[in-house]
Amino acid sequence: MSTSDLRREFEDLLYHEAWLLDHDRLEEWLDLFADTIHYWAPVRSNKVRGKEDLHHHNLVAHFDDDKTALMMRVQRIRTGAAHADEPPSRVRHFISNVRVLEATSDQVQVTSNFIVFKSRRDRDETLFVGCREDRWRRSDGRWKLEERFIILDHDVIGNLTVLL
Amino acid sequence: MSSRNGINTEQWIDVEHKTVSPRVFADPELYRLEQDKIFAHCWLFVAHESQIPNPGDFITNTMGDESVIICRDLEGQIRGFVNSCRHRGMRICRTDQGNTKLLQCPYHSWTYSLQGKLLGHDKEEGGGVFGGLKREDWGLIPVPRIESYRGLIFACFDENAESLDDYLGDVKWYLDLLLNRTAGGMVPFPGTHKWTMNANWKFAAEQFSGDVYHVGAHESLFRMNLLTMSLFMKAKPDARNYHMKTEQGHSWLTIENTLPPGALSEEVGQFYARVKAEAATRLTAAQNELVDNTNVGFVFPNLGIVSLLGMVTFRLWQPRGLNRMDIWSWGFVDRDAPPAVMTASREVLDRTFSSAGLFEQDDLEMWEGCTQGAQGFYRKRFPLNYQTGWRHEDRDPQRPGRIDELLSDYGSFHFYQRWQELLRNGTTAGK
Repeated sequence: MSTSDLRREFEDLLYHEAWLLDHDRLEEWLDLFADTIHYWAPVRSNKVRGKEDLHHHNLVAHFDDDKTALMMRVQRIRTGAAHADEPPSRVRHFISNVRVLEATSDQVQVTSNFIVFKSRRDRDETLFVGCREDRWRRSDGRWKLEERFIILDHDVIGNLTVLL
Repeated sequence: MSSRNGINTEQWIDVEHKTVSPRVFADPELYRLEQDKIFAHCWLFVAHESQIPNPGDFITNTMGDESVIICRDLEGQIRGFVNSCRHRGMRICRTDQGNTKLLQCPYHSWTYSLQGKLLGHDKEEGGGVFGGLKREDWGLIPVPRIESYRGLIFACFDENAESLDDYLGDVKWYLDLLLNRTAGGMVPFPGTHKWTMNANWKFAAEQFSGDVYHVGAHESLFRMNLLTMSLFMKAKPDARNYHMKTEQGHSWLTIENTLPPGALSEEVGQFYARVKAEAATRLTAAQNELVDNTNVGFVFPNLGIVSLLGMVTFRLWQPRGLNRMDIWSWGFVDRDAPPAVMTASREVLDRTFSSAGLFEQDDLEMWEGCTQGAQGFYRKRFPLNYQTGWRHEDRDPQRPGRIDELLSDYGSFHFYQRWQELLRNGTTAGK
């Protein structure tokens, strides 16, 4: 398969994922993840050019989830009592700049940018902007996400009730 | 009685009936008054010593809504300055943290030593550029008082304030449950969780001052069996479950842990057993009753502390206007913890009490909703109620502070009483 075919395949997959998130199909969204998923979004900071190290050991993170932690986020929403998202916010994911960086027959590195719009109550509107560095692995004919490294372009951030 | 500037605080905080007017969250003039009377006079947490270990290290923070630079000068002394050039007011440090020999304004190159002295101009030869200027009068604006308690650096704009030691008073005994339980003390993880909301900062402060009732906000976690109500239903204070408050407005909630078996991994469990054993040799018997409790602390006016499940956060509620607050939070961990324990502690922090934390999200929703609720022109005519509880208040020679039961609005109202006192007097010394 050529890189551009592969890119098209992952664009479809990432758009599908965004659709699941925007339509409250969170259980199906979880099903895209491998059991070994590492879903991770370190905090950002204002440092001299070149000095910010997102891989610094034990740098605190907005998200640092394994599969169980992600399942708990979905379970929490399903209790009906997750007040921060009940009634639910209106959320829309825009995915772009999809690139396939490295590919073997069963493993692919894919990067993409996102803009996530969240509208809450009558007029509280928040944007979450950043990029994802994903590692997908093919297992039983299906792609499963093994690692998602999320780089948010925010220092101070809004209420992160959204999934990215 | 009115305050000096004519604002009648008694109208807003009704001590007899234990009510608070919604206006305290809705009056822009009051926001400025809080900055002048509270944030300009209280000791405020600004950094941990380990964040600026070497000469030339600096970190930026805010005291109220004033940006400050906290640095270690070339002789090793910790100093604080308002982060604004004396020339045109430009921000001098625009990074969160770093190391430097000089503080230089990027606009017109006014250059200061780490002791705040105006040295000159980097383009200057022979003094010509600064002609006519008395440099000794135009050093950086210092934060006049900087003192530390067990690694926590506090700063104060009031030259005449009491010492940090006196200001912290009885809450030191409780801070020691964390900061003095091991010889190494506690240090922050790298990185700061920062998040923002359309809320008045006082809603966060009053919650940490002793609001156990608010567990209803975390109903989702009860339904997931991550919290159990029985934990909070002790009506009478006992040696392991109580709320305490101090004259200075600080408070502490301590609640016996009822962790389900297996909640902590074996290695983490073993480490905290070691911590407990070490604490037994360092702390009093009464402190040791509380050392592995869930502890929620509050240092007036805007430092909150949570310790549970092997996770510790120290956070500031940063006022950013009448209806805007940022939270800056640092995860703390025992300096001597092995790597696996450190990582486990950070993961719990990230997942519970951070910008995307399962606990934190709902608090934010409440504080925004309360702030909105207080703005209504008609709602403002009706007070907010702080009357529940009030069944016990006691002193205990073993336990500093005034002791009360857990379930009470006592602590939250106490915050407003202290707040009102300071708005009236504008000083922490000689209350």
